[in-house]
Amino acid sequence: MQAVILAAGEGKRVFPLTRNRPKAMIPVANHPIIEYVIDALQKNGIREIIVVVGYRKEQVTRFLNGLEVPVEVVVQNKQLGTAHALQCAEPKIKGDFLVLPGDNYIDPQSIARVMDIPNAILVKEHPNPSNFGVVLLNNGLVTDIVEKPEHAPSFMVSTGIYSLKKNFFSSIRGNDITDAISGMIRAGERITAVPADDWQDAIFAWDLLKMNRRLLSSLPPAREGTVSRQTIIHGPVRVGKGTTIGPNTVITGPVVIGNDCTIGPNCCIMPDTSIGSRVNLDPFTILGEAIIMDDTSIGSHSRIIDTVVGERCTLADHTSVSTMAGLMEIEGCTIRSEFGAVLGDNVTSGPFTVYKNCVIGNNVTIEGQESIISRNIPDGSMVI
Amino acid sequence: MCGIVGYIGRRDAAPLIVEGLKKLEYRGYDSFGIATLGRGIEITKHQGRISEKATTAAKLQGKTGIGHTRWATHGIPNDANAHPHTDCSGKIAVVHNGIIENYASLKRDLQLRGHLFRSDTDTEVIVHLVEEEYAKKPDLLSAVQAVIPKLEGSYAILVIADGENRIIAAKNASPLVIGVGDGEFFAASDMTPVIEFTERAIFLEDGDIVTLAKKNIEIFHNSKPVTRPVELIDWSLEDVRKGGFAHYMLKEIYEQPQAFYNTIRSVDPKDLPEKILRAKSITLVACGSSFHTGLIFKYLLEANCGIPARLEFASEFKYFPGPVNGLVIGITQSGETADTLAALKYAKISGCSTLAITNVLGSSVTRVADTTLFMRAGPEISVGATKSFIAQLAILMQIVNSISETKYNDVLQQAHKAIEEVLLMDLSEAVTACKNAQSIFYVGRGPFYPVSLEGALKMKEISYIHAEGYAAGELKHGPFALLSPETPVIALCMPGDTYSVMISNIKEMKARGAPVIAIGTAGDRELPDIVDIFIALPKSPLFIQILTSLVIEQLLAYHTALTLGRDIDKPRNLAKSVTVE
Repeated sequence: MQAVILAAGEGKRVFPLTRNRPKAMIPVANHPIIEYVIDALQKNGIREIIVVVGYRKEQVTRFLNGLEVPVEVVVQNKQLGTAHALQCAEPKIKGDFLVLPGDNYIDPQSIARVMDIPNAILVKEHPNPSNFGVVLLNNGLVTDIVEKPEHAPSFMVSTGIYSLKKNFFSSIRGNDITDAISGMIRAGERITAVPADDWQDAIFAWDLLKMNRRLLSSLPPAREGTVSRQTIIHGPVRVGKGTTIGPNTVITGPVVIGNDCTIGPNCCIMPDTSIGSRVNLDPFTILGEAIIMDDTSIGSHSRIIDTVVGERCTLADHTSVSTMAGLMEIEGCTIRSEFGAVLGDNVTSGPFTVYKNCVIGNNVTIEGQESIISRNIPDGSMVI
Repeated sequence: MCGIVGYIGRRDAAPLIVEGLKKLEYRGYDSFGIATLGRGIEITKHQGRISEKATTAAKLQGKTGIGHTRWATHGIPNDANAHPHTDCSGKIAVVHNGIIENYASLKRDLQLRGHLFRSDTDTEVIVHLVEEEYAKKPDLLSAVQAVIPKLEGSYAILVIADGENRIIAAKNASPLVIGVGDGEFFAASDMTPVIEFTERAIFLEDGDIVTLAKKNIEIFHNSKPVTRPVELIDWSLEDVRKGGFAHYMLKEIYEQPQAFYNTIRSVDPKDLPEKILRAKSITLVACGSSFHTGLIFKYLLEANCGIPARLEFASEFKYFPGPVNGLVIGITQSGETADTLAALKYAKISGCSTLAITNVLGSSVTRVADTTLFMRAGPEISVGATKSFIAQLAILMQIVNSISETKYNDVLQQAHKAIEEVLLMDLSEAVTACKNAQSIFYVGRGPFYPVSLEGALKMKEISYIHAEGYAAGELKHGPFALLSPETPVIALCMPGDTYSVMISNIKEMKARGAPVIAIGTAGDRELPDIVDIFIALPKSPLFIQILTSLVIEQLLAYHTALTLGRDIDKPRNLAKSVTVE
C-alpha cells in the first residue's frame, strides 16, 4: 500500500515558528511532526511513502534525505489546497492509498484500523471543531462534511487521514479533499467513518505544548551524554550525545535533551520539556512545560515555563515567563489562550526581560534591561 | 578522467553496473560502455550519457561485468573510443581510467605484430598486450601481471576474459576501491556505486594487482600476495542520493550548515600537528575553487597570525623554484587533482613538510602528503563545488584560529546557524538582473576579493554567463572600460576596514551606468540608497560574513542557471575532478 503525506502547507496559524520550515517540520519532543507520521506508517508495514512538499521544500527534503527509510518527494509549487497537493502525487499512485497530513500526530493503531477499508476517513471528537472539517455521521457512514464551519453542527471532525481508491482522483472538483469527499457522498458513494484513538493537531503555536506532553510520555529514556554524578534524575529522561549536564542539576522526566548541549550546574528541568541540540542553559535556570529548539542560549537565573522558544535565540540572565490567559489575534481570528510565551527564531532579549502571554516574531531584538513584554511583536522588530 | 565499475557475484551484473556508472557520471560522461561474461563476452557501448542511453546496456547477460563512463583524453568521444575495449578475438575486455603515456610506441609494436586497432585510445594497447600474454599462457592473472610492467603512466584497470570467471584489477596512480560484499565483490573508482550494497571497502595501493572471484579476493604486489585492511565507510546511502532535490548542487548547498559544523567539530585545534602550529611560512597549492579558499586563508592568516603565506596554482607550482623550508598545503576536494598531487610530490622532494586537505578518505593525496585533514562534507556530486568549499574553509579557519592569538572558537561554533539563515533569503530580484547579462563583474576588497573570484567562478561555470571577479581597486585599471548598463556588478560591501572605500568604488561604477547589486549587512543606511539591489546579510563577524556571502553567491548562480535552464550538475565541458595535467 502507498501513503501520501501532505507537507507542503506553511501553517500560517503557528506563526512565528514556520519561518524556516513548514508546520510538518516543527520539532515536538525533538522530532519533526512528520517523522511520527512516517514512523506510524512504517509500523503498519507501509513502505511506499510519498511526501508532497512545497513551502520551504529544501528544508523538508534535506530532512527526508537523512531518514533511514526511503521516501519519495513530490513538489507542489503553489499551495492551492489539499486536493491539489494530492494531485501532484497522482502519477505515482498505483492502487489504494492513504492520505495523511504531515503536521498532525497519529498513532499506528488508528492507521491499522483505517488502511484496509477503501473510502474511509479517520474521525475524532474535538472541543473546537470549527477549525477543522466537521463530519456528520449516520450509522458509521459519513453523511456530510463541512470545511471549517462558523457554527459547527457536531464535535466530530475529520483528522485529514483518508483511505482512498485510485479512482478518487476523478472525483476531485474543488481545491480541498473535503470538497471531493462531499461530492462523492452526494453521488451516493459510501464513505466510512473510523474513529481514531490518538490524534493530535496543533492549530496555534501554543498547542504544540500539549502535543509535546503527549509525545514525551511515550519516549523511552536513554543516556548518551556526560551527566555529572551530582545530577538528580527522576522519571524518563533522554540525554543526547555530547551533552554535558553540570552538578546539582535536577531533571524530572519526561524530558528529552538533544546533542551537544551544555546545561548547568544547578539547573532545574521540570516535566514535559523538550530541549533541542546545542542548547546552553546557564546556572540556576528553571525550565518546565517547554519546547526549546536548537542553538538557543538561556542566561542564568531564568524561569521559562509553558513556552515555545525557536532556534538560535539568546535570552539574557533573569529572563522570566509568566503564564497568563488572554485574547490573541492570529490570522484575523480572536482566540482566547493561556500560555507563557512563544518566541520565533533568533530572538535576542536583555537581562530581566519578562514575557507574559505573548507571541514574539522571528529576528526580534529586545534591548535594554527589565522590559516587560505582554503583547505580540512582529518579525524583525527592535524593542527599545 | 573516467569512472569504472566492476561486479562479480550472484546478481545480474549489467543493471547494477549501469546504476553504478550513473553515480560516477561526475567523473566524466561523454560516453559509456559495459562488458559482461554472458554467452562469451557481451558488450554494449555508446557515445553520450549513461543516464540518457542506458536502456540497452542493462540487458546484457551474466553475473560478472565491467563498465566505464568516459571523459575523453585520447581520441574524441564516439562509440568506437568508448570503453570497454576488446582484443582482436573479442575474448578479452578491459576498462581503464588514467593515461598510458607510452601507448604510442606500444601501439606501433603491436600493429607491426599484426594487431588490429579499432579505436584511437591509449587503453586499447592494454588489451592487445594481455591478448599476447594470454595466448602464451591462458591464465588471466599472470597475463595481466606480465603486461603491467610494460605500462607507463596512470591506470586503474579491470579485465575480464571469456572462460575465466573472475575480474582482474590493477591500479597505479588512479583511484580504485574494492567493495567487499557477501559472496560478491565490487570494484569502482570511488565508493558511491558500492555503498548501496556494502560498507566494507579495501583501498588499493599503487602497483597492486587483484583477482576478484565470486567467493574470494587475492591481492598481489610485485607478484607477492599481500593483505590490505578492510575499512568501514560511514557514508550513508542517503548521502549519495539526490533525494528529492532538483539538483545535486541545491542539495549540497543546503547541506552546508551541517558540513561546516561537522568539519569544525572534527578538527580539534589541540590535535593539529606541531608543524602547522609552528610553521614559519606556509605555501598553498590548489586549483579552481580550492585556489579561492587558499586565497581567503592567505588574507586571514597574514592579518591574524603574521605568518607569510604564499599561494600558487598547483599547475604552475613546478615552474617556480621550490620553497626551501616551511609547510606546503595542498587543497583538493577529490584528493585526485593531478596538478595538486604533482605539486605536493614536488614539495616533498624539495624537503618541505606537506599537508593535504581533502574530502575523500583513501584518495591518492592521502598517500602523497605527510598529514591529511579531512573535510566532513560527505560526497559531493555536483561539478560546481559548494559544500566542500565551505568545509575547506572550516578547516582553514580552524587553522587560523589555532595559530592566532585572538581566538575565534565562538564564531566558528556559531557559523552554521548564520549559513542556515541565509538559505532563507529571496534572491529573485538579483536573479532577474543577472539572467540576461552578457557579462557580470564581482568586486570586493580584502578577503572579499577571493569571495568575488569564487562568486564569478560559480556563475560562469553553471550559468555560462561570462563573469569575472576583481579586487575592487583593480577595476579602474582596465576593466572599467567594459562597464555599461548591460553589465551588472555584484559588490561585496561589508562593514569594516574596506567599507568606505568600497562605497566610493560603487559610486564610481554607478556613474558609469552599471547596475549594482550589493551584498551588505542588515542595518546599513548608506548602501541601499546608492545601489540598485541590496542583499542584506545578518550582522556578523568577519569570518561569518565571508561564509554567508559565499552562500549567497552560490544561490545566485544556482537560481540564475536554473532560470536559464542550464544543466546545473554537469555543466558542459567540465568534469568534477581533473585528474590530467
